[in-house]
Amino acid sequence: MGIGKDLLDVPFGDMIFSMANAIANSQRKLDAASLRTLRTLAGTKFDFIPEVTEVLTPKPLDPIDLGGGQTVTPTGVDIKVFPSPPIKLTLLQAGLVPQFYQFTESIIEVKISLSSKLDISHSSEVDIGLEVDTKVEAGGGLLSFFGGPSGSVSTSFSSHVNIKNSITYSYTAEGSSLLRTTLKPVPPPVRFMPRFITVNALVSPPAINTSE
Amino acid sequence: MATQIYIITLRGGYTHESSRDVQRLVRGLGGYILMATRTGPIIAIDESRAPLVGRNPLVEFLGPVTLNPNGVAAGILTRIFAENLSKQIEGGAGSQPGLNG
Repeated sequence: MGIGKDLLDVPFGDMIFSMANAIANSQRKLDAASLRTLRTLAGTKFDFIPEVTEVLTPKPLDPIDLGGGQTVTPTGVDIKVFPSPPIKLTLLQAGLVPQFYQFTESIIEVKISLSSKLDISHSSEVDIGLEVDTKVEAGGGLLSFFGGPSGSVSTSFSSHVNIKNSITYSYTAEGSSLLRTTLKPVPPPVRFMPRFITVNALVSPPAINTSE
Repeated sequence: MATQIYIITLRGGYTHESSRDVQRLVRGLGGYILMATRTGPIIAIDESRAPLVGRNPLVEFLGPVTLNPNGVAAGILTRIFAENLSKQIEGGAGSQPGLNG
């Protein structure tokens, strides 16, 4: 096994593809929502009163006596308001436009930490013991007949061997991934938004004004 | 997070009650009613709380919008928004604008 092989096994290509795919799907849904908002704005009308005419006419007030036979007549003003008939205007015409968003920057960050450890330990212990036991007894027996003592000899041998072998292998792998993307509001795409063409027939020749 | 303007469409079409309920929900979440239309209210609310409005069963759709200052009635809309906003700021959570659209 090799750490280099493990690193190569990380599916970077799949991860990048998945992220790009997710961003593309999200962008499509966001655009669809903005287009739906556009339709909603284009279908919502409200009463728009383009002009309000105010007519000011003199309306003299009662004279004020200043004393000494002098009077002053304040100039009053009468105000008549004439609103023009309301016209139905859509919110889109009025000036509300859908908000569009765009993914401007995406970052994929993968961190992987691999470590392997091999511990080999060996220990042995040998213990050898030798024991000789001699017994000599006086008198009796055939040996004593020839003038020697009678006896016995016993020998014991013991040993033990302890051998300890240990091999420890540890392998750890830790990984983390971070996906970060930035979503920013952007102006509506030109092709998505209708152009408003106003023809003012009040003047001669008619004035044509085009606005986005 | 920033405050964003949204237009709401009501599930099953506009009714006075459903519009009022959604407006109360928005006010309860700290948002403001900028304008009430027959499609649904136009609100201003923190972007982080907008999904809570969108998940309400009375809400069919919640779409972010922005004001184009070059619109033919952008000034009128701005004035309506400002008037309704001032009522809510002065009147607290209970005050709601009438139908403008």
